[in-house]
Amino acid sequence: MSSMKELVEYMAKAVVNDPDSVIVREIEGSNSTIFELSVTPDDMGRVIGKQGRVANAMRTLLRVAAVKEGKRVTLEIV
Amino acid sequence: MSNQNVKSLDVSAKTVDEAIEQGLAQLQLRRDQVDIEVIKEGKRGVFGIGAEDAVVRLTPRSRPSAEQAEQKAPPQPPADNQPAEAPPATTPVEEVARRHLGALLRYMGIKAEIKVKSAPELVEGNEEAPLVLDITGRDLGILIGRQSQTLRALQYILRLMVSKEMGSWQPVIVDVESYRIRRHQSLRRLAERMAERAVANKRRVVLEAMPAYERRIIHLALKDHPAVYTKSVGSDENRKVTIIPK
Repeated sequence: MSSMKELVEYMAKAVVNDPDSVIVREIEGSNSTIFELSVTPDDMGRVIGKQGRVANAMRTLLRVAAVKEGKRVTLEIV
Repeated sequence: MSNQNVKSLDVSAKTVDEAIEQGLAQLQLRRDQVDIEVIKEGKRGVFGIGAEDAVVRLTPRSRPSAEQAEQKAPPQPPADNQPAEAPPATTPVEEVARRHLGALLRYMGIKAEIKVKSAPELVEGNEEAPLVLDITGRDLGILIGRQSQTLRALQYILRLMVSKEMGSWQPVIVDVESYRIRRHQSLRRLAERMAERAVANKRRVVLEAMPAYERRIIHLALKDHPAVYTKSVGSDENRKVTIIPK
């Protein structure tokens, strides 16, 4: 059993300066799940990274969890 | 037993570690109270054939009393000739890295073990051997991914997390079933073979597309080659090392 929401939260909280304002919303669709990650404006750069490197790495790892659950997922930073 | 008049003691045993242990027991000293010189590394042999005992020489450090030794607080950093089997002390980085990696794997739904080791084979020359967290278990191909994309993502995120917590950049390496070490070795062999081909055919050889750190391994493997030089061509995902006869 994987816990995709916790995964996103855990990754985000560990790279930002203000972990308390990390919020992850899980939006279940019929065949895919969207995770919306929000952080304080100051931390946006930290969860996105240069050329989106951090966000893409988080997506890659989230995809592993999704494959394990047989789901399609997207991660959006809002 | 007095160790004042003991100059040095040679001990042999199956492994360097055992020899050191036995020697220390004989001298009734701790590891940080002696200088250890490995005289023979010893060999395991196959089914005991060709096995050779390890020999170490222990020389008590001159020091008037044991009490003074107690005050010499920081333990000696491991000497260069210390055997690889010596259990390394757990460092804070190691602890932090292990905790974060363990949590990531758990949330990803991956059942696996994490083994911490140092991998001198992953670096060139006298660069410091990096801390490697090797993930072992069944069906872990999913953690490597195409062109090791997933493995690189895992390492990147872990480095960020660990560095954030430690307050300084920590270039820890994440590996899966020693994939990186095996890949490193096979890339070096590939480099040699393709260099020979380039020279023999007097034509450039273009390798398959590789991520940056893999291209680096090829460049480094051939940097002192007498008859070829290397260059990366193409962009991004499609960047390829080219081996060119001089």
